Amino acid sequence: MSTAAAGTIDHHRDPTTSTGIPNKKLLMWAFLASDCMFFGCLISTHLIYRLHPPPGVPAARDVFNIELTSFSTFILLMSSLMMALAVNAIQKGNLRSLRFSLLTTIFFGCIFLACQVYEFSHFVSEKHMTITNSIFGTTFFTLTGTHGLHVLIGVIWLSSMLVYSFTGRLSEKDSIDVESMGLYWHFVDIVWIVIFTAVYLLEYI
Amino acid sequence: MNQAAVPSSEHALEESKFELFVRVAMLLAVITGMEIVTVYLPFAHSLLVTALVISSAVKFLFVIFIFMHLRWDMPFCTILFFIGLVLAGGTMWALLKLFSATASIPLSSS
Repeated sequence: MSTAAAGTIDHHRDPTTSTGIPNKKLLMWAFLASDCMFFGCLISTHLIYRLHPPPGVPAARDVFNIELTSFSTFILLMSSLMMALAVNAIQKGNLRSLRFSLLTTIFFGCIFLACQVYEFSHFVSEKHMTITNSIFGTTFFTLTGTHGLHVLIGVIWLSSMLVYSFTGRLSEKDSIDVESMGLYWHFVDIVWIVIFTAVYLLEYI
Repeated sequence: MNQAAVPSSEHALEESKFELFVRVAMLLAVITGMEIVTVYLPFAHSLLVTALVISSAVKFLFVIFIFMHLRWDMPFCTILFFIGLVLAGGTMWALLKLFSATASIPLSSS
């Protein structure tokens, strides 16, 4: 696609809709706003039981591995950078750069999921903390597991977009599809920013 | 390549976005590193909690306004997202306040 053609597309406004915002983008923002409330409830439930723990609940500091979680956080932040670059690439019609950025984002997403699987299995086998044997385990696994499920859905979405980019039907005109996917992926990142502080770091103070 | 067809300010913006994204990502990584160091500092509990909340909020805002393009999108996107965010934050605040009242502390808690 020529640069001249790229200059004619405004990626932030759509004059054909009544709001001036592309419908897919509006739908994604509405969904993310509702997902905020969903995660807000899960986080507050976890915090309430951490502030008022029942007897016999293990000390979180003895269970958590802050080095591993910090590494996961760094990986997810870098995946957000690659996702932003992927959106930037498709808006310029640069499919080669888009594929590289998507592939890197998928790779980082898989690393994050692998870290979470390792963490969960370590908690169950070494620390004897399961989803059913303590309220801490219940709220922790429900919250971080739900976030992990979001990451998994994101990785599947990214992978399908990567495959689709090879069909020759993805062009700069379809950048809103990549942008909507990017919004979802960044949301997963911001939820983790909150979880990392509220669930992990606050336990170390 | 007909560069003249592209408005110069828009072209400059697209060019600078790459650098901006990389800079913001590096800043987020640095803030995360500082957060990890913060929890081991021998300061007052309330001070450390405040520092962590502020640094998380800064990271959160950088991601939504830069990576999620809210800075360049129409204000309605920001309003829509902040409606959900305020409702979520309000629910969290209300639940935490409610359960910190003496009569509301779970009976099984130690």
